[in-house]
Amino acid sequence: MIGGALGSRATLVQFSSAFCTPCRATRALLENIVTDMHDVTHVEVDAEAQLDLVRKLNILSTPTTLILDPSGREVGRAVGAPKREQVMTALAAIRQ
Amino acid sequence: MTQVLAEKIAAVSIDARGPRFSAALTTIVLAVTLVTSNIWILGAQAVVFLIGSTKGPQFTPYAFIFRKIIKPRLKGKAIVEDIRPPQFAQSVGLLFAITGVAGALTGIAPIFTIAVSFALAAAFLNAAFNFCLGCELYLLLLRVRFSHG
Repeated sequence: MIGGALGSRATLVQFSSAFCTPCRATRALLENIVTDMHDVTHVEVDAEAQLDLVRKLNILSTPTTLILDPSGREVGRAVGAPKREQVMTALAAIRQ
Repeated sequence: MTQVLAEKIAAVSIDARGPRFSAALTTIVLAVTLVTSNIWILGAQAVVFLIGSTKGPQFTPYAFIFRKIIKPRLKGKAIVEDIRPPQFAQSVGLLFAITGVAGALTGIAPIFTIAVSFALAAAFLNAAFNFCLGCELYLLLLRVRFSHG
């Protein structure tokens, strides 16, 4: 449904839209983070094209980034542009 | 999916400081509008919003001032951004400005005051904190539109 394979440790699902300036910076950050981590993947979803999913997951603004565990369950959520440390902390919590 | 979205990103990018400067000017103009209850100033601002929302935020008189007077004096590297987020914000501004003008013309003063206040708040947040109106509003509008349609 999210249009990408789940990472073996975690998946970062970023919801973006065309009228969102910080979405670009968020994409750059998350792509940069996953290049160093073979077990984490980043998937970007065009919120406009996935309105049913947006409603089901109750996403209200962009960017919103969901952190999924290996089974695809949501274990964390960042509304707005996340900071690198926040993402790293959330990912570190999944490892245990 | 990332690929699809990347292709949708518009090729047109502008200096990100331009829209922010425009937002600062808009804040002043709307504050004066509110204090003086002057419909002509609001009308002029509506024309600026109209240009910004139809032609693009880089074509407004405010953007012209930024390019000719402000930008040459700025140091530091320009960060470019997609024009669509500020263009969306200009459309929302236009909607509020038209509502305000309509309120004044029909003699319903509270509509004028409320509409100008909302536009002023959005412009101020944009100028002061780089607030992204499209981030907060666009998805909500889509969700409302498609749940009723």
